Amino acid sequence: MTGSMKGLVKALALGLAAACSLAAISSASAEELSLKGKRIGVSAIGTDHYWDLMAFRGIQDRVKELGGEVIALDAGRKDQQQIAQLQTLIAQKPDAIIEQLGNLEVLNPWLQKIRDAGIPLFTVDTATPHAINNTTSNNYNIGAEIALQMVADMGGKGNVLVFNGFYSVPVCKIRYDQLKYVLTSFPDVKIVEPELRDVIPNTVQSAYSNVTDMLTKSPEKGSIGAVWACWDVPQIGATQAVEAAGRNEVKTYGIDGSPEVIKMVMDSKSSAGAVAAQQPYEIGKTSVDNAARYLAGQKVAPFTFVPAVLINKENAAEKGKPFLDAAEKAGVK
Amino acid sequence: MSATTLHTEAGASDETRTTGKSAGRRFATLVVRLGAIAAFAAIMAYFVVFAPGFTSTFNLINVVEQSAILGVLAYGMTSVIIGGGSDVTEGGIDLSIAANMGLCAAVYATLLSMGYGDFLSVLAAIAVGMAVGALNALAVVGLGILPLLATLAVLNVAAGMELTLTQNTVVGASSPLLGFLVSGSFLGISALAWALIVFSAIIIAIIHGTAFGLRLYAVGGHPEAARAAGLSVPFYVSFTYVLSGFCAAVASVLTVSRLSASTPGSGELLLSVLAAALLGTVFSRRFVPTMGGTLLSVLFIGLLANGFQLLNVSSYWVNGVQGALILLVVAITSFARGSEGSR
Repeated sequence: MTGSMKGLVKALALGLAAACSLAAISSASAEELSLKGKRIGVSAIGTDHYWDLMAFRGIQDRVKELGGEVIALDAGRKDQQQIAQLQTLIAQKPDAIIEQLGNLEVLNPWLQKIRDAGIPLFTVDTATPHAINNTTSNNYNIGAEIALQMVADMGGKGNVLVFNGFYSVPVCKIRYDQLKYVLTSFPDVKIVEPELRDVIPNTVQSAYSNVTDMLTKSPEKGSIGAVWACWDVPQIGATQAVEAAGRNEVKTYGIDGSPEVIKMVMDSKSSAGAVAAQQPYEIGKTSVDNAARYLAGQKVAPFTFVPAVLINKENAAEKGKPFLDAAEKAGVK
Repeated sequence: MSATTLHTEAGASDETRTTGKSAGRRFATLVVRLGAIAAFAAIMAYFVVFAPGFTSTFNLINVVEQSAILGVLAYGMTSVIIGGGSDVTEGGIDLSIAANMGLCAAVYATLLSMGYGDFLSVLAAIAVGMAVGALNALAVVGLGILPLLATLAVLNVAAGMELTLTQNTVVGASSPLLGFLVSGSFLGISALAWALIVFSAIIIAIIHGTAFGLRLYAVGGHPEAARAAGLSVPFYVSFTYVLSGFCAAVASVLTVSRLSASTPGSGELLLSVLAAALLGTVFSRRFVPTMGGTLLSVLFIGLLANGFQLLNVSSYWVNGVQGALILLVVAITSFARGSEGSR
């Protein structure tokens, strides 16, 4: 009896020591985080894209992991509905609100109301002065990296078809501006005017027909070198269009890392040149951690960057797999 | 009140033909209708008891505010159904109403951002809304196209024009009127909520309190009888489509105030508008659309989403429950009309 007791104590002590040292190695605050007894409101404009769904899930899973209660609201990409949900959410007085994407022009007055009501506001991939913290990818980095990859693949010269329908979306603005900045150093790479316009919904179909039209307009091989989009759903349509037209010299570039696009980049025969893969699930989780830190009285920086990975033809097999595994685990194809 | 009496008279000839069957059927209909209302009441009672903060004045005013845009649109739809008859396939329906609102909002926001004042911009939005309504009237009354198809075509025209105007972008807008609608309040009730209250009072007074409204019911309920009585059926039907366009324009100003912008995707509202107009019939004894019934169902739809959120039930359920209720009401309506449908 005493023997086993001693053993138990010893094991416990050892375990405790091990746990302590582990905690010391990893970030010290991570182990203290808790949202016990807290209610966190989560508002997303929509979850019909892979990125949105994964971030939305990341937020909810992490709040539950930390012992909090989630009020999860998906506006189904309807501005009216998101505003109504936020209005009711303010009346519910949660301990914090996490807002994920949407239309800034529409949202900002309501985000202001959240702050006026004294509710701490955190955002995912949404830069607004009203948020305590915005958790996102480093879009400056992503924009430059994907642009440089494209220029390298083009050998520093040629024409690019650019989808620029969402310049009003802050992350797209950054990525597009970075593309333009990179191109100032490569004057032989030219953007075809007028630029193309990506749309929601029917993004893939619309991109497909836009690119097909442009390829028909410039029938000589080599007259178009690449297609660029600030996200990767137009890239799907663009890639299909390039392949259907038999114009394999054209490569496509996009950002987000939807599993479908990663698979295209991994396929050596596909025209998808590269994609910058973000970690939306991690981004969602990290924003919750930030909220938990803030509610525990800790200081939180105005933004947190979660690393993204550039997946190109050379590294696709190795770098793409973890992303596909994560998607499979989440049950998303 | 008087309107329903007249409608009863207009429909009486059908009923005498089928008196034998209809007594039992009418009783069954009554039971089912009361059942539907009881279901509505039960859902509300559940929210009152279990949804935290549901009955607070603040929350209820929020819901009225959230219902304003849908309400104004649903009145437009209801007027078209009253004037065109409530046969789902051949009766009056305005599928273009939500897209029309999107177009009006785009016109309004674009003109504001170009520096034109509220007066001109609102006037232009109303003119556009009524012009789209007139186009519907031309197609339905002038060309005799089935309303379902005519307004579907006009839906595409309006949506296309909106896209051309805005290039599928968000057009930000601010003006004194918008500022007032967003932050104004009177007697503790916000301006947007007042907008719904005042608009409801006016439209209920016109449709249910005047001889004009009475004749509108006659035209929709029994066009042949109305024509025999000397009413100009084409005029009344045209009027409802233009009124519907006017409602779309009014709703567009409200929507721009609420979103601080005109945004793409207004067309999404169409289903809720149809739902509100159809659900509203359950509040009338003869399953005819009434403005009061529409108001009740608009508020019900708003309270449904609100109550679910307060109970922390996934918002995905709202659509399901809404759809189930529509199915129920449409089923009851067809059941109640069974005798008329066979003619």
